[in-house]
Parts: sequence; structure tokens; C-alpha cells
Amino acid sequence: MITVIVIALALCAVMLFYMAVRSRRKQAGDTFRPVDLNAFRTLMDRDDELFMKEKLPRSKFTRLKRQRIRVTFRYVARIASNASAVLHMGEEAARVTPTPEVAQAASQVMELATQIRLQCLVAMAKLSLEYAMPSLQLTPAMLVPKYLSLRENLKRLGALEPQTLVPLASAI
Amino acid sequence: MLWVHMPLGSIIHDLWIASIALQVFLAVVLLKKEIWRQYPFFAAYVFFNLFAAGISYSLSGRGMGFFYTFWVCEAVGLVMGLAVGWEIFTNLFAPHAALRKLATVIFRVAVVFLILLACGAVYAQPGNTRGIVKAVLLASEATRIVELGSIMFLFLCSSAFGLHWRQSIFGIALGLGTCAAIELVNVTLMTHVSPAAAQVFSLVRSVSFNISLLIWLGYLLAPERAPNVGEVPKRAQLEQWNQAVMELISR
Repeated sequence: MITVIVIALALCAVMLFYMAVRSRRKQAGDTFRPVDLNAFRTLMDRDDELFMKEKLPRSKFTRLKRQRIRVTFRYVARIASNASAVLHMGEEAARVTPTPEVAQAASQVMELATQIRLQCLVAMAKLSLEYAMPSLQLTPAMLVPKYLSLRENLKRLGALEPQTLVPLASAI
Repeated sequence: MLWVHMPLGSIIHDLWIASIALQVFLAVVLLKKEIWRQYPFFAAYVFFNLFAAGISYSLSGRGMGFFYTFWVCEAVGLVMGLAVGWEIFTNLFAPHAALRKLATVIFRVAVVFLILLACGAVYAQPGNTRGIVKAVLLASEATRIVELGSIMFLFLCSSAFGLHWRQSIFGIALGLGTCAAIELVNVTLMTHVSPAAAQVFSLVRSVSFNISLLIWLGYLLAPERAPNVGEVPKRAQLEQWNQAVMELISR
């Protein structure tokens, strides 16, 4: 039995490495993708959900809620992907810059991007649970204010390093 | 060194020579690009493997001298492999202060779990055979489980947290992980099959180590990719996206 587990572990590892190499190649061609925060806010609005729950029959509410979760999931995935890309940019900016102000601003941006990335993980877990059990109503992750703050910080960083980072704040 | 006189022996021997040549080349790259400053454990691991290969080659055909040297080097190499795993972890999380604490806690839990799995693997082995080879194979299996598991943890964690690997550290982790995965299968199966199959395992072992050396060389020599700052979406794309979402919502 334990031999089977060990061999399975090794096979999983090989698959994981293959996927990592593939995703690394894919990441090289990745671009920043914009997020409409107003639409996202609407999707996360619990009052809307309560209204639908009261007005709609159970089966229709379940179907609608799942549809809504699918769209929300795409938004969260996009936010996570942008946060990850910003993290990478921040890391590069902090590494190559000779200016302490830029390094400090970059590290603030990285800190925020990391927090957003973690919150996205939590949000995805919550959304998955709600998708499985639509009657559940978990506290939504506070992604919007953090994301706005990331945009602001990125703008500030862009002002310090205009030749490379200016377009990013408007891009995310 | 029975395998030298057997049909697969010459292939294994050639692969051994090729691995020594590749290790010399890798050592030169490490020194020339001063990578040893950035990754001292990895550099020590490479230099030690080169030293072990040289010693083993010079002692080949000398019976017990070769036998003990080979297995002692194997044990030291395994411990150094774990140290390289730790070096990869510290390098990957070095720029992410916010994540480091959380990752360290998860990493420790993962290592404890892997040690338990390794102990389980050792405990589950039949106890009717004894000897230094058996002991080293068991220790090797246990250590490879921890080594491979911790590298898998790093890949999973970096994917979950959206971390970007630098080219060199990604190559080091990939090479070490590939070698550890093949070695793990090798040592696990080796304890279950007849000694006649040992030659096949030696061949697999040589091939896997050479693959790892090529991965390390490839990633250390390839230029670091610059981040893709220039490609930002156009306004029209943004509007298309918003429209698509609005349609989805109002459907």
C-alpha cells in the first residue's frame, strides 16, 4: 500500500513539474486584464441576493445564484491574476532600481498584491462552497477596497518610475 | 562493478562519463556566472557531486573501497539535497515578507507530514533482509520522499500565491525535483525486485541524473526573461469585456 502511495507521489510530482513548466511559458505571454469594479461590487452585493431569494422560487434562485457565482469567480480569478502580475513587476522594480523611494513604493505594492492574492484564495474557497450549497451565505471577501488601494499605490509607483510602470495602474 | 561487464554496462558507463563532463561544465558555469554567491548550498551540492563522481570513478573496480565510498557519498548527497530544498524555499519567499511567515508554518507542517510518510515507508518494508545497502536504500527512500514532497509543496505554494520564479531558481528546483522523483521510484521499486534488475535501475538513475544536469545547465545559461510591461489592454478590449459581463449578468 505504502509503495503505491510513494509511486503515486512521484507521478504526481512529474505531472506538477510539467504543468509548472507549461504555465511558466504561458505566463510569459500574459497581459494585464482590466477589472470593472462596479460590476464586481454588484455581483458581491448581498442585498441583491436576499432580494432574489425572497422573490424567486427556490430552484430558480439556485440556478441564478450559481450563474452569478460563476461570473464572480471569473472576476476573482482576474483580480488574482493581476495581483500576481503586479507582484512580479514590483519584485523586478524593487530589484533593479537604485532609488530607495521606488524600492519602498514597490515593496508596498508587493505587500498589497500579496494580501489581495491571499484574499482571492479565501474568496475562491468561499465561492466554491456557496456553489456547492447555494443556500449558504458566507461573508464576502473585502477585495474591492484592497484592489482600489493597489491601483492607487501602483499609480504612485508609476509616477516615480514613469518609463515602465505608468500604463499599469490604468491597465488593471 | 559487475554491471560494467554486462550488456547494459557500457551504456551506463558512457552515461557516467557524460555526467562527469556535464558536472564539470556546470561547475564552470557556477563559477563563471558567480551563481555560487547567490545559491551557496546548490553550488556546494554540485561541487560535492562532482567530487563524489571523481572519487567513485577513480575507485571503480576496487571492491569494498568503491562500495563504501559510493554509499557514504550517496548519504551526504541526500542531506545536501535537502539543504538545497531549503535554499530554494528561502529564495522564493525572500521578497515576500507578508507571505514568509504563513509559508514557513505550512512548510513545517508539510515536512512533518512527509517525515511521517517516510517513516511509514520504512516501517512497511519487509524486515527479512539486512545489510548496509538495504539500510541506505531505505534511508534514501525516506529522504527522497521528504525532498520531493517539499519541492512539490514549493511548486503548489507558488502557484496558489501567484509567485513568480526567477529563471535560475526555477531551473534548480525543477532539476532537483525531476531527479528526486525518478530516484524515488527507483529506490522504492529496487527494494521489491530481484538483484538481477539492478542494472536497469542503474541505467534509469544515470539517465535521470543526466537529465537534471541538462535542466540545470539549460536554465542557468538561458537569459532571464524580462517582465511583459508593455502589453496593456486597449480601451476597446476593456469595453468588449464589460459588455460580455453585462450580457452574462442580464442573461
